[in-house]
Amino acid sequence: MNVLSLLGRNLTQGPYTEPFPFGPAPTAKRFRGRVTFDAATCEGCKICERVCPAGAIRFSKAKDGLAFAVWHNSCVFCGNCEFHCPTGSVHQTTDWHLAHEQARKYAMVEFGLIPNQTCSECGATALATAPSLRGIAPPLSAEEAVTLKSLCPKCRARFLKARRAKP
Amino acid sequence: MSTVPETYTIPVGPLHVALEEPMYFRIDVHGETVTHVDINAGHVHRGIEYLTTKRTMLQNVVLTERICSLCSNSHPETFAMAAEQIAGIAIPERAAMLRVVAAEVKRIASNLFNVALLAHLVGYETLFMHVMQVREIAQDIKETVFGNRMDLGAICIGGVRYDLDEETTGFLVAALDRLVPEIEAIVATYRTNGSILGRTRDVGVLTREQGLACGVVGPVARASGIAYDVRAVAPYAAYDRLPLEVHVLTDGDVWSRAMIRLAEALTAIDLIRACLRDLPDGPTRLAETPDIPPGRAIAKSEAPRGELIYYLKTNDNPQPERVKWRVPTFMNWDALRFMLADAKIADIAIIVNSIDPCVSCTER
Repeated sequence: MNVLSLLGRNLTQGPYTEPFPFGPAPTAKRFRGRVTFDAATCEGCKICERVCPAGAIRFSKAKDGLAFAVWHNSCVFCGNCEFHCPTGSVHQTTDWHLAHEQARKYAMVEFGLIPNQTCSECGATALATAPSLRGIAPPLSAEEAVTLKSLCPKCRARFLKARRAKP
Repeated sequence: MSTVPETYTIPVGPLHVALEEPMYFRIDVHGETVTHVDINAGHVHRGIEYLTTKRTMLQNVVLTERICSLCSNSHPETFAMAAEQIAGIAIPERAAMLRVVAAEVKRIASNLFNVALLAHLVGYETLFMHVMQVREIAQDIKETVFGNRMDLGAICIGGVRYDLDEETTGFLVAALDRLVPEIEAIVATYRTNGSILGRTRDVGVLTREQGLACGVVGPVARASGIAYDVRAVAPYAAYDRLPLEVHVLTDGDVWSRAMIRLAEALTAIDLIRACLRDLPDGPTRLAETPDIPPGRAIAKSEAPRGELIYYLKTNDNPQPERVKWRVPTFMNWDALRFMLADAKIADIAIIVNSIDPCVSCTER
């Protein structure tokens, strides 16, 4: 490699670096950035909390349901939560804009709430988690899925047992 | 009237401009010639070995990846190999190939990084910046295919976490095609450039006998005529089905070690291309996350710096009872005593860098 030709190449090509923040910084589609949480599809299995090596994900009982929190200042962006999540409720976006002022350090948290509901069958209070649909054959229809979600765990089991018993 | 003594002791490190990581050398010199070297370690001890026994197996795949940034894929891979050995798991063929792809992409970036630092220590900043820029192609591969510039997150127990689709394969192939001519040009430069040759030829020589006595591994061993490569002598993943070329040089100097690293970067590209050509369809991991029964196992792999050995002992708990790893730098830094003997003070940094020391792996 001739240094002069290298210099010539660099002069004609311009800088290799991205002009960020004055221009866009291209981000790969698979980039593992900020974590988002979708409470509507979460089954509440808490596997993400168990596999998180940094202890950044915490579930806690709240007055009105089950609260989910991922602390981005503890997160190591390993993607273990998304990898092990059976429903894809935990997802890493390509957003890497996580620099923040010191005053906002406790605000770098993604919250989610799986609310309590009243069981449409027995009237008990239970979490409105998404029902686990794996291994259910034949697959549930849309109405059946809505009905199943509105039930408490005991009534869900009864519903599925009755469904299996149908000819 | 006072006189300057002929012999005196100088400290190099623990924080030194020419060292990548904290390491403390107490060097006795006579004039400007090294007479004795004392290596003092432990400055980046973080207690990770203990921490692994407090984390579950699934968490440890991530934790071991963060022991060291440059060989960050080798640690979880070897850890997973040990766990799979205990559980008696064979990973799917596609997963074995994809593990090779991840390991070899890391090898390209790691080797280019060390070769770039050599140019920096020689004082050839233009070449340093250029090699780092070429390495940036490998960094782009990591970010695009795996999602992070250093921690690939490619490994899980029972297979791999990522998969190659048409888009990422296309990007990978195009990036490799750009890398090959660039690395070949770098090889030609290191072969002919007077500044590089003058500072690296016959500097820091480690003979074959000394190398065997120290048990050196990796490029350091292969530059001293010891043809030892775990990928060849104890193949894992898919290496027994790939055209692996083991490069050996006999001079044992700093230059030979750099040339081995560059040659292995090119071989790594051949290996990735062979994997992409033969990549079978099928699952990339086991259908279920496997439970690891009580047991113990030893696994070893060829990290960019040499042979990496993991010992894993599990019991009925989700956490392992003991995890212990022997990293290549542990063997290689012992050989620094031979390499630094009778060296000039100005060459100390170049010689230390030539073993590509990974202090954070060694002291965890």
